[in-house]
Amino acid sequence: MTTSTAAPKAAAPATPAGSPPTVRRKRSRLGRTPAAHYWMVVPALVLFFVLHTVPVIVGVFFSFTDYAGYGVWDFVGLRNYGALFQDDRVIEAYGFTFGVAIACTVLVNVIALGIALALNARIKFQALFRGIFFVPYVLSILVVGYVFQYIFANSLPQLLNGIPVFRDNILANPDWAWTAIVFLTVWQGVAFSTILYLAGLQTIPQELYEASSIDGASKRRQFASITFPLIGAFFTINMVLAMKTYLQVFDQIIPLTNGGPGTSTESITLLIFRGGFQGGEYAYQTANAVIYLIVIILVSIFQFKVLSRREAEF
Amino acid sequence: MTMPRPFRRAATAVMATVLIGGVLSGCAGSGGDGEVVTLDFFQFKPEAVQDFADIIDDFEAENPDIRVVQNAVPDADTAIRTLLVKDKVPDVLTLNGSGNFGRLAQAGVFHDFTGDPLVDEQNPAVLEILDALGTYEGEEINGLGMANNADGIIYNKQIFAEQGLTVPTTWDELIAVCEKLEAAGIPAFYGTLTDAWTAIPAWNALGGQLQPEDFFDRMREEGGDVGPDAEVSFSKDYPEAMDKLQQLYSFAQDDYRSRGYEDGNLAFANGESAMYLQGIWTINPILANNPDIELGVFPYPAGDDPADVRLTSGVDVAVTIGRTTPHLEEARRFVEYLLSPEVVDAFVESQVMFSTLADAAPNPNPVLAELVPYFEEGRLIGFIDHQIPPSIPLQPIVQEFLLGGSPEAALRELDNEWRKVALRTTVRE
Repeated sequence: MTTSTAAPKAAAPATPAGSPPTVRRKRSRLGRTPAAHYWMVVPALVLFFVLHTVPVIVGVFFSFTDYAGYGVWDFVGLRNYGALFQDDRVIEAYGFTFGVAIACTVLVNVIALGIALALNARIKFQALFRGIFFVPYVLSILVVGYVFQYIFANSLPQLLNGIPVFRDNILANPDWAWTAIVFLTVWQGVAFSTILYLAGLQTIPQELYEASSIDGASKRRQFASITFPLIGAFFTINMVLAMKTYLQVFDQIIPLTNGGPGTSTESITLLIFRGGFQGGEYAYQTANAVIYLIVIILVSIFQFKVLSRREAEF
Repeated sequence: MTMPRPFRRAATAVMATVLIGGVLSGCAGSGGDGEVVTLDFFQFKPEAVQDFADIIDDFEAENPDIRVVQNAVPDADTAIRTLLVKDKVPDVLTLNGSGNFGRLAQAGVFHDFTGDPLVDEQNPAVLEILDALGTYEGEEINGLGMANNADGIIYNKQIFAEQGLTVPTTWDELIAVCEKLEAAGIPAFYGTLTDAWTAIPAWNALGGQLQPEDFFDRMREEGGDVGPDAEVSFSKDYPEAMDKLQQLYSFAQDDYRSRGYEDGNLAFANGESAMYLQGIWTINPILANNPDIELGVFPYPAGDDPADVRLTSGVDVAVTIGRTTPHLEEARRFVEYLLSPEVVDAFVESQVMFSTLADAAPNPNPVLAELVPYFEEGRLIGFIDHQIPPSIPLQPIVQEFLLGGSPEAALRELDNEWRKVALRTTVRE
């Protein structure tokens, strides 16, 4: 930290001492950043490259081999990729993951926006409520997951004895287990989106509401014409972040269903982890991960394009 | 020209980062050059941590120049793979004699024991089981057995006595026992299907006895051609095993879908069911819940002739040495100690297992008495799930089938997965 704060101070007195012609000085101040600023990012760049970029490149490299994670390996070209597109287990995992991600993204954003509007209103104990609603996000998802697993497996079957789906343990039902995963994910994820929406709501000038109420606009009209358009940027970022996060759904599944019953709740990330580390198909699942990386990037770009188009400028 | 000051500072920061990194990795690399050699001992069995701690204490007392550090981790199969990815092979390992062990041996990770006198002390049947799992280039001996398990139906002797039941020796007798128990209002089995793997012991025992000769060898030959039209396939050869498995679960308690392994050990210990579809590895956990329960074990009777019954058994604890260990001599001395008759006898007695040594005395534990003849007569078969590649989701498929799927769909899925894995796996010469 000392380097980064001391460097600009050191650079400042150097300029008058050299006393270059006025024109050049002006251009250098406006057009060019001092070289020191570039040098300061070098350590971060090196760390990022070594710890992040290199592993990605190594991973991509191994996706063209038959490496099991240990021992000897050979190049197999694009065979892993070819096999992936014929693997119905992978395709099923994609279906499940996208279903859960879309359901979670929609539910989280609807609920979070509602909570944010409520918490932004003039209510008593506003700060306290904001704190309470943030608690689920702080808890470890794995710990919460085991608590919910107990609730679904033991408490709900007794409480909701009359409803067959709950009586037989919803987690053991191949058709409905995904709803339990969506429920836990939404319960935990709403807090983060709420915070972002609250921040967005703070940016809207109160005068707009005053002016519109003089014009006789209803609350609903105010929401549709003022609130929602003006937090458009926050809506976009929430949708993109939520989709990206829930496409990587993993921690929730381990304690709740562990991918079961059968393989009905097996997400892509879980499949990559299982097949790659436990199944001894490291290279094959690395190819899966490479494709998935591209898919997530494409989905995010697509969301940005579509959603930014309808953001209000102000 | 002198370096501009900001650049110097930046350079210093980079140098500091590099140096700190260097020092840290330097620390990790050195050590172990003193007089006392430290052996890294990877130990997979969570139930046996205390036993091994005692063994290590005794060993260290006799061998003051060796220190053994026991590393026991949950999910050992994944843990050992992550270690291997980092090229960190432990000096001495115990591993379950599963398909995973065979694949690691094939990858050339373990020491070759060929010619070692320790091999001669092993029960030949045990060496055969380990050999069948896979060895490096198909000709080495990459592991030795320390304890053998058995996959049988555990029953509550008190309940059997109260209901006037005898141990069944054929499939029809087993079903008759189940029906009598059902009539008496006692669940025959305690099902724990929340944990997918708990369905596999019964599947292994039934499938292993009912499958045709050389089933998996022929499956491997077919490879990518496995399907409904193939000569052998799960769809063709496993319906009987699946039907019988489903039949057994029809006698399980009502909430077998939502109970887990721990629930099962507790419930069975409390007498909530008469039998338990598990193996002898559950005996200790059951006794921990209820030390007074009287237990017995019998092999799964899959057919009509008592003479055909085979006990499913595998190497529960295999011992081996890392191929690249710099302390081979010390590691070898520790393994020799681990496999000495006194240590093995005490270990299998404590773990309720069977000794893997050639001239071992039978385990005196009365719970195992009914299984001893099968070991003595060699009426054993291996675990069939060890022959199935781990990337096939066998456990979830069997679990889903027992939760209400059809046997045809489950077997079709197994065939399909087998075909896909065979197609994308490179066969090494």
